[in-house]
Amino acid sequence: MSPPFPLTLPAPRRGEGKHSGEEWPLGVECAWPATMHAAPAQAVVRGKARRWQLWLATALLTIGLWQLGQGGYIQAKAWLAQVLIKQAWSRTLEGEAQARPWPWADTWPVARIAVPGRDIERFVLAGANGRTIAFGPGHVFGTPLPGESGNSVIGAHRDTHFAFLRELRQGEEIVVQKSAAGIRRYRVEHSEIVDKSETRVMGQVPGESRLTLVTCYPFDALRAGGPLRYVVTAKAI
Amino acid sequence: MNTAQSHSRASGNPGSTNNHWIPACAGMTRLTRSRLVVVDVIAYVVLAFGIGLATAVTLAGVVLLLAQEAQAAEFMPMRPAQAQQGTLLLKSEGSTLAVPAVATDAEIRVSGIVARAVVRQTYRNPYDAWFEGIYVFPLPENAAVDHLRMKIGERVIEGDIQKRQAARAQYEQAKSSGQRAALVEQERPNMFTTSVANIPPRGEITVEIEYQQTLRHDSGSVSLRFPMVVGPRYIPGTPSEGRGHGWSPNTDQVPDAARITPPVLNPDKHAPTNPVRLKVVLDAGVPLARVDSPYHPIVMRETDGGSRIVELAAGEVPANKDFELTWTPAAGHVPQAALFTEQRGDKHYALLMVLPPAKEVAAARLPREVIFVIDTSGSMSGSSLAQAKEALALAVSRLAEQDTFNVIEFNSYAKALYGDARPASAANRESAVRWVRRLQSQGGTEMALALNLALNGRENPGRVRQVVFLTDGAVGNEDGLFKLIQDKLGDSRLFTVGIGSAPNSHFMSKAAQSGRGTYTYIGKVEEVKEKMGALFAKLESPVLKGIEIAWPAGSLAEAWPKRVPDLYLGEPIVVSAALEKMAGELRITGLRGDAAWQATLPLGEMRAGKGMGVLWARAKIASLIDSLRDGAKEEEVRDAVVEIALAHHLVSKYTSLVAVDKTPLRPADAALKSGAVPTNLPEGWEFDKVFGELPQGATDSRWHLLAGLLTLLLAAGLFLTARRRSVVLWGVK
Repeated sequence: MSPPFPLTLPAPRRGEGKHSGEEWPLGVECAWPATMHAAPAQAVVRGKARRWQLWLATALLTIGLWQLGQGGYIQAKAWLAQVLIKQAWSRTLEGEAQARPWPWADTWPVARIAVPGRDIERFVLAGANGRTIAFGPGHVFGTPLPGESGNSVIGAHRDTHFAFLRELRQGEEIVVQKSAAGIRRYRVEHSEIVDKSETRVMGQVPGESRLTLVTCYPFDALRAGGPLRYVVTAKAI
Repeated sequence: MNTAQSHSRASGNPGSTNNHWIPACAGMTRLTRSRLVVVDVIAYVVLAFGIGLATAVTLAGVVLLLAQEAQAAEFMPMRPAQAQQGTLLLKSEGSTLAVPAVATDAEIRVSGIVARAVVRQTYRNPYDAWFEGIYVFPLPENAAVDHLRMKIGERVIEGDIQKRQAARAQYEQAKSSGQRAALVEQERPNMFTTSVANIPPRGEITVEIEYQQTLRHDSGSVSLRFPMVVGPRYIPGTPSEGRGHGWSPNTDQVPDAARITPPVLNPDKHAPTNPVRLKVVLDAGVPLARVDSPYHPIVMRETDGGSRIVELAAGEVPANKDFELTWTPAAGHVPQAALFTEQRGDKHYALLMVLPPAKEVAAARLPREVIFVIDTSGSMSGSSLAQAKEALALAVSRLAEQDTFNVIEFNSYAKALYGDARPASAANRESAVRWVRRLQSQGGTEMALALNLALNGRENPGRVRQVVFLTDGAVGNEDGLFKLIQDKLGDSRLFTVGIGSAPNSHFMSKAAQSGRGTYTYIGKVEEVKEKMGALFAKLESPVLKGIEIAWPAGSLAEAWPKRVPDLYLGEPIVVSAALEKMAGELRITGLRGDAAWQATLPLGEMRAGKGMGVLWARAKIASLIDSLRDGAKEEEVRDAVVEIALAHHLVSKYTSLVAVDKTPLRPADAALKSGAVPTNLPEGWEFDKVFGELPQGATDSRWHLLAGLLTLLLAAGLFLTARRRSVVLWGVK
């Protein structure tokens, strides 16, 4: 077995026992030969317990740092990706089709949404699967592109790009840009909490253009994967 | 540093040389030892308390935030749950729960390469109301449906063949006047609708449908496919007016979408429905080496007459995937040619099958350009995508260095791995396989985008260009796609690989025919290697082309298909003909590579077969419908199809079978309810991925951060107590 606490403490090295023994006052005090066979079982147990405790502590330290890193990575990725997507979006506005934000990306920006009143700007990507919306709000395939007529559905994470949804209030204005000239304004109508299977919010309402923003609910749940969705509906002005 | 050293010693292995811990501990008095224990206990208690407190505070904070959130959500006007649900799906799901159930019982008799089937659908009405049941179901893509019988108790009412509108009108008339009636209409060559009117409360009506088909003979074995469920189809296009019993409105691209999208049960919420019983009487005509049923366990027994009777081991299965039965003749018994004839009136109908020898031909091997297209739409989610990826990875890794290739994936969009085909170097093959393995499925099935990307209409005699298309074919706009394939084919060849438990057989066979290629099916991952291996053998062998059949002079033969398609390795020529006179010898010629091939067959050596006329009529109708894509006028084609279909009692795009009971049964004041029978989702499909669900909008980042903090806290506590113990040890001195 490797040393129990490699991160913080030096491992005992063979042949150094005598030398270090001199530094250990207890060792000097004890009558070495006489007690040779009198080692109390308790001490053995405690020595082992301490060893395991340090093992555990080290393991927990590693796990803790890893978890913190994981959490931070998700947030950092979400933020950094938007910077790169912004650049891809400006290429899109110059006429490039399906401009990849980074060379191996399997998605591309399709629109920019902004809430002028809150200084919020997000770049919407094509597709709303898990891999895509780690980087930005995703446009749900099969619904009209944001800014087109019909019901455009956009999904994003409640704890990154769509955290602002909880603050949105009725009457607020959302601006959608789909191309250099194509800007469309929407006004927030209402919000609702629905089950994820309630696909009616994605349905098309004849003759009406709306923007449906979907994120997970509750906003402060610790874990992902709950069944509830927070849906904000905005109608084109 | 000292502390550290004491630690290292204290934890030294008792068996090792540096066991200084023994004197240390042995030197302790009983008193110090007990004090040590007390301090330990206190330390643990304090630690536990601290962690507990931290957890409690955190959880309280979370709860507080949640509570606050609930208020925030209510801040905005909430829309009450709508009484009439807007979702297509929910609507259909709601109405599905109160419709008659259908049990199917199929008996298929196989003789040689022809099968005749009787499909009995029993509509049971468990309610106190009168019902009309509408059931959309699949049949083989070349099924010639020629009989309908409605059974009420002991009485049997034979169905009549009529023009589609006339049959529909007769049915509607009977329905409104309270008579029991059944109507069978064709939606696609492999998809039909049975409507049954006036099923009495707690009563039942049995509808019996008969069809005949030619079986597929390929690479030495014959296979029979009996599809059980129509997988939900993707409906492209802009919605137009018109809603029916389906979950989709009609669109400009699929004008009959509402008819072909029966409600689908979510397998997570409902038990499987529509039970099927199946019996195959197999008379192959030759000794068999093996009989396989890859997707359903079967029981088989042999009769005295030498035929085999195959039944489902489970007795009854839900209609949620294709049944397939494949048999291989014993070595030396593979028929090289067969001719079945039937005389009706003064006409002779013949079904001709000739298997050209698979001779090795030394042909100059041209470099190949292979374009793989993989369907990554929502319907492929689950086992289908796994099968497609496996097949594609295998195909890519089998390419030769001198070949070039590209991979295209499509769902709501289509995208290619490379801008243009690249050499199949080891590095490129590897990176392509990695790319394929990462593919995920979501969204629609915009097949036209993928076909436009894959087929460029170009001609280049310096290479062979082959497009391998992996899909479940779950689309409603087949005709538009066939036209697109035909128009943009150039000198490319299109090969379809039908993936999953319920592929669209009409799409697979016709797309391959339009693309002058061939098709295969993969229904489970275990089949990938064998099926793809067989496909590669076809891709790599020279085709037999320019096939001409010269019927004997004076026989006045009318043969369909008019132009025999190019044949790939292991495929037979299959032609139906109507002749005035059965005499003389027919000659077949063709070209494999640069080598000419020819065969002669005396018309005298024939076997009597039943229903050859129906098969001929079915083949003729298929050819007439195909001619629409070459620009034939719809009215002319319709008239021709109606004429032949009426003559042979066949259901077609323009003709339906209808059976009406003369006596009205439903009282005039009793209402008639109507509903489409819900179907199962094909096995292995994922409901949410097909019909969509709201995107998931949360990450685990907070969980990670909290878990990280708590774990660090715990680690710190443990380190501290471990330290504290050492201090206690020091203190003992």
